Amino acid sequence: MGDRKQAGDEEFRAFVAGRWPRLMRTAFLLTGEQHAAEDLVQSTLEKAYVAWRRVGSADDPEAYVRRVMINTHARRHRRKLREFLAPRDDSGIAREVPDSGDHISRAEDRGLLLQALAQLPPRQRQAVVLRYWEDLTETQAAEAMGCSVGAVKSNTAKGIAKLRAIPELADTVMYGGRK
Amino acid sequence: MTNANREFDHGMTDRDIAFLLADAASAVEIGTAPTQAVIRGGRRRRARRWAVTAATAALVAGSTGALAVTALPGDGGHRVAPATPPATSATPGPVLQPDPTTLATGTDQGTPWKVTLDVWPAPRDETEAQTLLGAMTTYGEFPADVHKASDLVGRSAYTVRQSHGDGDTLGTPVSEGLTAPADRMAGTDLDSVAVPLDPDTPGRPQRLVVGHVARTAQEVTCTWKNGTTTKVHRATSTDINSDDQTIRTPATSPYAWFVCLAPDGTAFESVAVTR
Repeated sequence: MGDRKQAGDEEFRAFVAGRWPRLMRTAFLLTGEQHAAEDLVQSTLEKAYVAWRRVGSADDPEAYVRRVMINTHARRHRRKLREFLAPRDDSGIAREVPDSGDHISRAEDRGLLLQALAQLPPRQRQAVVLRYWEDLTETQAAEAMGCSVGAVKSNTAKGIAKLRAIPELADTVMYGGRK
Repeated sequence: MTNANREFDHGMTDRDIAFLLADAASAVEIGTAPTQAVIRGGRRRRARRWAVTAATAALVAGSTGALAVTALPGDGGHRVAPATPPATSATPGPVLQPDPTTLATGTDQGTPWKVTLDVWPAPRDETEAQTLLGAMTTYGEFPADVHKASDLVGRSAYTVRQSHGDGDTLGTPVSEGLTAPADRMAGTDLDSVAVPLDPDTPGRPQRLVVGHVARTAQEVTCTWKNGTTTKVHRATSTDINSDDQTIRTPATSPYAWFVCLAPDGTAFESVAVTR
């Protein structure tokens, strides 16, 4: 009994060490903030630990963990992100386009994207992150979000349309050395 | 090429979007995985579950005595039951309890099951929060998001529990969270969890789906792996009928809640607000 528990813990440790970076990046895009991301990943993994005997032997433990993370995020960060990343009142101020490759401009670009993500409703943000960052299929994203494929399509399309409507983001792509 | 591969007329291709996301994601500091802290946290969560089981046993064992219940100091008292004097003389102080709502109940292959929602009143200040946290801990419903009493001020904690079988009186937590008065869901927003009907047999098909939606939602459709669907509609009264799955809007929650149960032999595929 004790040996089995120890083996389970070892397996879980290896899982956490291996998946931590990827989970952190996904959580960062979902929450927009370093500490909130750490908190989200840690809570997610704690929940996975409780069910590890079942999760670890499942075909795809990552899919389970992803689903837990999305559920946890939906509950915990629905309001927090807007508060944290509420855009400053700089409307009307033309955005200067810094030289590409400039570290400060890269940081500003990232901040711009995170702010744009923050303006999306949680389900749209999740759909965009799962489809475009995690590179999941619509079916996989639907499993992670606990919704239908149609809802994933709809949330993704709405989210992307909103990102696309932000001219500064297009500028980032244009002037950030991508085109 | 990403799985999402369309091109937009503003010149932002899917690859551009993926690039922007990857670039933003790279800004997070990764650090070393806090494996030990995660395991400690996991063990605490597991211990809380055991505490719930112990609390159930204590409640059953003490069913001949009365549980002292009162409202938070200064609370209007409309969300908790009035105080009842304990049957025994030694009482450490007022004991709070959540406002329970039965979301659904039924019988599956001769075994009763039930899904309940516990909602705790929102404390108005840190003193109330401290008192409430003590009660919640005793009850085994310490919310994961709360690290100190002030985290709870102005926020209402909830726990969804499922029970299966006659002996599982209090039930196993399947979902928990905090809400503030301003929290709202709108349109087709939906949060859900799918679990086996019997929480003590992990690995079984996820037949039970519990979730919350906007209070305006009229219909939720659960789709099962065998292609069939179950549609649940708003409850027409507060009466609970066995095996009647509906959308309920407890007065104490900013959300409407639904429960779907998959037929035997299939499992959860997806769920959506359809009206």
